[in-house]
Amino acid sequence: MTATEARGADLAPGTAFPDLELPDHNGVPRRLCELAEGDPLVLTFFRGWWCPKEQAFFRGLVALQDEMEVAYTRLVSVSIDEPVALSAFRAGLGARWTFLSDAARRYVDDLGLRETTDTLYRPYVPTVFVLRPDLTVHSAYNGYWFWGRPTLEDLRQDLRAVTRSVRPDWEVPR
Amino acid sequence: MTRSAGWVWLARTETRPEGAVATAPLTTGGQPAGWLAAWPAGRKPVPGAVRADARVVDPDGAAASISFVLLPRDRAPLFDDPAVSGALRRVLAGPPPDAVSTFVRDSSHFAGAVTVRRDGQDLADDPFARLAHAERLEVGPGLFGRVPPVPGPVIQRYAGAPWPAAGFPAA
Repeated sequence: MTATEARGADLAPGTAFPDLELPDHNGVPRRLCELAEGDPLVLTFFRGWWCPKEQAFFRGLVALQDEMEVAYTRLVSVSIDEPVALSAFRAGLGARWTFLSDAARRYVDDLGLRETTDTLYRPYVPTVFVLRPDLTVHSAYNGYWFWGRPTLEDLRQDLRAVTRSVRPDWEVPR
Repeated sequence: MTRSAGWVWLARTETRPEGAVATAPLTTGGQPAGWLAAWPAGRKPVPGAVRADARVVDPDGAAASISFVLLPRDRAPLFDDPAVSGALRRVLAGPPPDAVSTFVRDSSHFAGAVTVRRDGQDLADDPFARLAHAERLEVGPGLFGRVPPVPGPVIQRYAGAPWPAAGFPAA
């Protein structure tokens, strides 16, 4: 396992990630299992649109979406921003995946992902999970320090491993 | 991990068709413009039918405005044509409609699309209108539902199913 441990002690590789239900950037209630649609899923928790580290990290994700869009792979991002802020952030980035709003901090403590050093905004600590289609955790990255986040190459390697394990025709049919 | 790709047959007819699971009259400018109907996957019900994402069909759905693009077979671009991919990206980036589905006749060509709105937003910015003439129609109740926005970022079809129907057929 090349990923560092996620901060949430119960979200280690091999465990089932909770099927979160939150409003998306349009305010429409969504569930993670619905958003995965049977595909591998990269799930990112981030502090908020205002954080320069998040802006830098998301520029990389936007570059990766050009590969994910043809690779039967899903991407979902969660923060404590309101839907209207997420929608603007998403549009500004040029992102074409779903953003979820946990402005009510519904899951931040349950997941053990509260950034305790920010007592004003009480955001999520930046964390990235690569999930199998059934929402089992394949890998987790603690991004409290920027270099703890996965590089795009880390994500490619994880998605290759997950895809290889869930696609029965990974080996070229003969 | 696989699951069935859900699709239905969809066809525009001059008269109310028989045997459809959902049917609604069409009007344009207040004048009758035929019927639009859906049938379950299986044997093709009428000659002009195309496949669409099953999730857009709801026999209990309210009346709606639609942008309807249907290309003749001899003018249908490849589904992987960059112009089609660009339209799909614009759908994912833009304000979500109540429902949207592309149409397919076979495993490799784009046959058209339907975009459903009830929010009064202009359908003139239908991304698929860049590919072919888009007809603005009013559709009566009983055909189109309201579907959650397409999650993205995937723009590929699953085993030839009409986008955005997701999931590969079970092996």
